[in-house]
Amino acid sequence: MGNKSSLLLREEEIAQIQEETGFTPNQIERLYSRFTSLDKNDCGTLSRDDFLRIPELAINPLSERIVHSFFADSHDDRVNFLQFMRVLSHFRPIRKNRENKLNSREEKLRFAFSMYDLDNDGKISRDELLAILHMMVGANISEEQLTSIAERTILEADTNNDQMICFEEFCHALERTDVEQKMSIRFLN
Amino acid sequence: MALIMSVVSLSISILYTPFLLLVLCVIFLASIGKSLGVRRLYVNILLKLFEYGRQHIEVAKKVQRNDSSDEEEEPPIPDDKPPSAIIKENGINGTKMSVIERQEILGPSPELNYKRSSSQERIQNGHRTDQEKNEVNLEFHLSHCLDLVKAGVESIIEDQVTSVFEAEELRSWNLLTRTNKQYEFLTWRLTIIWAMGFLVRYMFLLPLRVLIFVIGVWLLIVSTACIGTLPDGPFKQRVNYVVSIMCFNFLSRCISVVITYHDAQNKPRSGICVANHTSPIDALVLMCDNCYSLIGQRHGGFLGLLQRALARASPHIWFERSEVKDRHAVAKRLKEHISVPDNPPILIFPEGTCINNTSVMQFKKGSFEVGGIIYPVAIKYDPRFGDAFWNSSRYGMLHYLLNMMTSWAIVCDIWYLPPMYREPHESAVDFANRVKSVIARRGGLVDLMWDGQLKRMKPKKEWRELQQEEFSKRLKGE
Repeated sequence: MGNKSSLLLREEEIAQIQEETGFTPNQIERLYSRFTSLDKNDCGTLSRDDFLRIPELAINPLSERIVHSFFADSHDDRVNFLQFMRVLSHFRPIRKNRENKLNSREEKLRFAFSMYDLDNDGKISRDELLAILHMMVGANISEEQLTSIAERTILEADTNNDQMICFEEFCHALERTDVEQKMSIRFLN
Repeated sequence: MALIMSVVSLSISILYTPFLLLVLCVIFLASIGKSLGVRRLYVNILLKLFEYGRQHIEVAKKVQRNDSSDEEEEPPIPDDKPPSAIIKENGINGTKMSVIERQEILGPSPELNYKRSSSQERIQNGHRTDQEKNEVNLEFHLSHCLDLVKAGVESIIEDQVTSVFEAEELRSWNLLTRTNKQYEFLTWRLTIIWAMGFLVRYMFLLPLRVLIFVIGVWLLIVSTACIGTLPDGPFKQRVNYVVSIMCFNFLSRCISVVITYHDAQNKPRSGICVANHTSPIDALVLMCDNCYSLIGQRHGGFLGLLQRALARASPHIWFERSEVKDRHAVAKRLKEHISVPDNPPILIFPEGTCINNTSVMQFKKGSFEVGGIIYPVAIKYDPRFGDAFWNSSRYGMLHYLLNMMTSWAIVCDIWYLPPMYREPHESAVDFANRVKSVIARRGGLVDLMWDGQLKRMKPKKEWRELQQEEFSKRLKGE
C-alpha cells in the first residue's frame, strides 16, 4: 500500500540518540521521517546523491563541504541515522542550565573549522583557504584578489607563524563572532 | 454449493430492479445538476470519526510517553477548519508542519524578468550596490562561510522543494495506513476502528465504485458517439455542454467527490483556463461544472479510447508524440482554437507536472504567450479524506486509481478567479508569475519560484553560479 518506511525507529534507538545528541524524542521522530523521505531506496542509509537531490542544497556554493561533513565517520560512503543526527546536533541552540554535548561553542567551532580543513590534518593551509574561497565566489573575483585575501586572512589569524591556521588560532579569530547565533537552528515543536 | 448458487441468483433477481432504478435516478440527478446530499452527509460523519480518532491517539500517546520535557506537547489544534481559512505560520500555510524556523533560504535566483513574490523573501542579501567600484576593498572574514553552512544544513532538515513532490503529511491520522508514516500499534480500539474502516472501504465502497466507473465510461463513450453524429454547429455544442457535464458528474461519483465551487460568475466561457495541477482528477473535477477542451499527448490503449471518444463530440487538442516538443506547433494549435469564439475554453496545467497541493510551482510561459483571456482557477483538495496527489515516481496509474477508489472521499474547493489579461509591456514570464501568485493566494498555497521539472532533473548549474555571484557582491559591498 505504499507505506514508506518499513524500518521503524525503536524506543532504545530513540533513547540512545537522545542521550548522545540532546534532541527530544519528538524532534528525533520528525528528523527520522525527514531522513526516510531523503532515503529514496529505503535502505536505511543515505548516499551523497541523496543529499544533493535537495535543490536548495545543490545550489549552495559550499554543498560539497557540508555533505562531506556527514560522511566524516563513515566507512562505506553512506550515512546512517545516528551519524546524521550527530552532525545535525551541532546546530542545536545552546541551552543554559543544561548539558551541551555536541552543540557547545567549541563543538560548533570545530564543525566550522572542518569546513575549511579539507584534508583533515587539523590545520588550514593557504591552498585550502583558497579552495574554499573559490567555491564561494566562483569566477566573480579574480585569482590575484582571492590569493591576496587568503594571504591576508592567514596573516591576521596566524600567531605562531607557521603559515597555517590551527584550531586554537581559528577560535581566537572568531572570538567576537556570535557563533551561537550563526550556527544554531531553532527547532519548532 | 447448489444452495449458495440459488441464494445468489435469487438475491440478484430481487436486487436487480431497485439497483437499475438507483442507477437511473443517479444519472437523472446528475443531468439536472442536483444531488441527494448523501455524499455531504457521509463526509460530515467521517469528520466526526476522525476527530474522535485524533483525540484517542493523543490520549494514548500521552500514556505511552511519560517524558516530563517541556518541549514535548503541542496543544491540540482543531482540525475542522476548511483549508482556505488556515492562517499562515512562518510565511507558510498552516497545514504544513515546519520542523525548524528557516532563516536563510537560497532560491533559484530569478532571471531578470521575474518579480519576486513576498512569500519568497531572500533574507540573506541586503546589499545591492549598482555602482562600479574600481578599487574594490574586499573584506573577508573566516566567519563569512557560516551563513552558507547554516543555510545548507537548514535545507537538509527542511526544504521547500522535495516535500512538494511527496504526499502531504497530515496533522492527524485519517485511518488510512498509507498516510501514516510510522504506523505503530497504539490501542486495540483504534485498530478495530481502522479494521472496520478497511472493510467498509474495500468490501463495500470499492466494488460499488468500480461498477460506477465501468458504467460511467460506457455512458461517456456512447453519448459522445451519439453527439458525434450531429452536424457541427451551435446546437451540437449546447447538447455537448449538457451531456458532458452529466457524464462527468456520473463518473465523479466513482471516487465520491464532494466539490464546492466558488465564484461561479467567473466561470470560463472561452479563452484559456489555467489551474494548479495535483492529479489527473483535476480535469474530471473541473469538467463536472463546465465544458473544457483538453490538450495533451495522444495515447494508445484505454486512454486513447477516451481521447477519441471525447474528440468526436467537441474539439480537443491531441498531439502526436513528436509534435509535443515543438513549441511553435503547440502555440499554433492553441491560437487556432481560441480564434474560434464558440470553442470551449482550453484547460491547461502550466506547472507541467503533478504537485502535492501545498504549493504552486513555476508556470511554463508557453500558454501565456498565445494571447487571449486567461481564466485562473485554484483547486485545493482537503487531504483529510483522501490524498488526490499522484506521485508518479511511486505509483503507477492503476495503483493510483485503486488508491483513489479506496479512499474515503475526495473533497475539494474550486475557486474561479476573475479573468486576467497580459499587460502591453509585460513579458510572458512576468504574466505567468502574476497569474501564479493570484492562484496561490486564493487557494492558500505556497507560491514557489522553483521549476516543477526538478522532480526529475537536477538544478541548473547557472543557479549555483548566481549564488556565487550574490556572495561576491556581499564581499564587495562591505
